[in-house]
Amino acid sequence: MTATPILRLRGIEKSFGPVQVLHDVAFDVHPGEVTALVGDNGAGKSTLVKCIGGIHPFDGGEYWFEGERVQVHSPRDAAAMGVEIVYQDLALCDNLDIVQNMFLGREKRRGLVLDDATMEEMAARTLEGLSVRTVKSIRQQVSSLSGGQRQTVAIAKAVLWNSKVVVLDEPTAALGVAQTAQVLELVRRLADNGLAVVLISHNMNDVFAVSDRIAALYLGRMAAQVKASDVTHSQIVELITSGRSGDLGLVHTNGATP
Amino acid sequence: MKAGPSQEEIRRHNLGTLLRHVHLGGSTSRAVLADRMGLNRSTILGLVSELSSAGLIREELPQDTGRAGRPSLVVRPESDRVYVLAFDVGVDRLAAARIGLGGVFLGRRETPWPRGGFDSGEVADVLAGFARQLMDTARDGTLCVGLGAAVRGLVRRSDGVVRSAAHIGWKEEEFGEDLTRRLGLGLPVSVENEANLGAVAEHLRGAGTGCQDLLYLHGDIGIGGGIIAGGQLLGGDGGYGGEIGHMVVNPRGGRPCGCGARGCLESEAGERALLQAARRDPSATGRDAVRAVVEAADRGDISARAALHDVGDWLGIAVGGLVNILNPRTVIFGGTLREVFLGSAAQIRSRINSHALGAAREHLRLRVGELGDDAVLVGAAELAFSEILVGPLETLARTGA
Ligand SMILES: Nc1ncnc2c1ncn2[C@@H]1O[C@H](COP(=O)(O)OP(=O)(O)O)[C@@H](O)[C@H]1O
Ligand SMILES: [Mg+2]
Ligand SMILES: [Zn+2]
Repeated sequence: MTATPILRLRGIEKSFGPVQVLHDVAFDVHPGEVTALVGDNGAGKSTLVKCIGGIHPFDGGEYWFEGERVQVHSPRDAAAMGVEIVYQDLALCDNLDIVQNMFLGREKRRGLVLDDATMEEMAARTLEGLSVRTVKSIRQQVSSLSGGQRQTVAIAKAVLWNSKVVVLDEPTAALGVAQTAQVLELVRRLADNGLAVVLISHNMNDVFAVSDRIAALYLGRMAAQVKASDVTHSQIVELITSGRSGDLGLVHTNGATP
Repeated sequence: MKAGPSQEEIRRHNLGTLLRHVHLGGSTSRAVLADRMGLNRSTILGLVSELSSAGLIREELPQDTGRAGRPSLVVRPESDRVYVLAFDVGVDRLAAARIGLGGVFLGRRETPWPRGGFDSGEVADVLAGFARQLMDTARDGTLCVGLGAAVRGLVRRSDGVVRSAAHIGWKEEEFGEDLTRRLGLGLPVSVENEANLGAVAEHLRGAGTGCQDLLYLHGDIGIGGGIIAGGQLLGGDGGYGGEIGHMVVNPRGGRPCGCGARGCLESEAGERALLQAARRDPSATGRDAVRAVVEAADRGDISARAALHDVGDWLGIAVGGLVNILNPRTVIFGGTLREVFLGSAAQIRSRINSHALGAAREHLRLRVGELGDDAVLVGAAELAFSEILVGPLETLARTGA
């Protein structure tokens, strides 16, 4: 665990037209750690993640990466820094195989032709590096994969590019127990290998099983960001449902975090 | 007064250390070995040639460098040539494996065994039969250098006698001696508690690699425990230490335990307690039954959720107390406790966080085992390898190579 965050947001504001969705959000992400991002439906988790990934522009606030103030205007900008997001809908193409999906839009070419051999090798090495042994062939069509395997491919796609921060938006939401376990172990391994991982989940067991820090959003504001070794389940539930728990959380008068 | 270690002792120590590096780390270049061992390159060269002429390691080109240029040689263990036999007396299966230097599984045999009482002689017979089958598949010129066995019970360190193993109905069984005799290989069988071996395995090759202080909890019919403190297995005075499953967490209202006490972690949070609290069909046991409870809880079943909540509480209370005493870096949940942990982590973590002292828990990592059901066999193999890793050449001389 390191003291300096790799990604740091301060004072983030975001509205969709007249609807304000994020207000004065601070968020820190550390290498080698899993940071869980929790909050009720509509709290603004996915919006925050899309802002981090350059899909939505922020209306205000600061985005710091590796100690420098940065401007992120597109997913390309985020990817260039090493920030990858695995969105809820995964955006995998059913009719393509695993390798094709992992390189979709970023294919390797040798001259004008696709460099299949290199892509295959990189895909295989990435999956192996993640100790993924559940897929039979990397030339298998994605449509033939289980939910957990699809999630695994999406995660592998995100780490293929020597990324430094990987954000996973509800990766276990649609999965059964056995596949959730596999994905959680993968999430933990990513962080143990040194990556900064952000995990969005509604399942408190998933959150407490793998995370080092927990950030709770409440109605578009960051109620608290705490170490997983310092809080209880009920405190997190209180932060999620009321934005406060004891001395933790939002001070209701001015909205500032203590 | 004894003078410092002799040249010979230093050499022996260095040979063992180098072999251990290669055994645990796999293919390694001489430069890296020199760096890790803090020795100069010519000393490493000498050690490497001595160990390779003894047939324990080999130097070769790396398999895949992925990089251009002339690759440097790597030192790798002679996994096909030098092996041990590992045995596991489970609660419902007997298993044996032939495991090569470097930790490579070369073969395995396994048979289901009815839960309940086992005759120790019968078990030794089956395992000795497995051993013969496994050795028959080994090529000429290969060499067995150690034998290790895991038992779910209390094992006396001095002579390997199994003092008691409640789940299989053993008392004062000279199991190690018996198996040694039936094998007739001229090598003694080392016997050790199964969760202690699981702890060793996860410490050396699994979720606790590089971590010198860890707790390992293994769930099957009961709850086994193993403690690594300062890089060493904590056995206590007689070798009976680490029985986390028999730590009393609920002495007043608790359930009777197979050990005779009441309210042990095992009786409160073990398989039977979980299945009963979740109102499961009593005939279903084992991993599938435990997993079914976690699945039912995930779908919202209230008795399954309540059962996991309670079990998580007891596990957290036990681990929280141990964190205060031992300050481990990692707690590893193995066997069926992997599923239980994933289904009750919020409860376990919360209990630890409210019971353990802040400084003792601040860097605590909770992990599931990485070796799965192989942990015990891997640990038994490490036990069997321990001698050759201390004195490689002496051990070879003794095994008649
Ligand atoms: N593209 C959009 N246009 C308008 N409103 C949006 C858009 N995306 C999200 N919202 C609104 O922002 C709020 C936060 O949503 P979201 O970030 O998806 O929350 P969460 O992921 O925490 O459930 C919700 O009220 C949602 O309706
Ligand atoms: Mg969302
Ligand atoms: Zn007991």
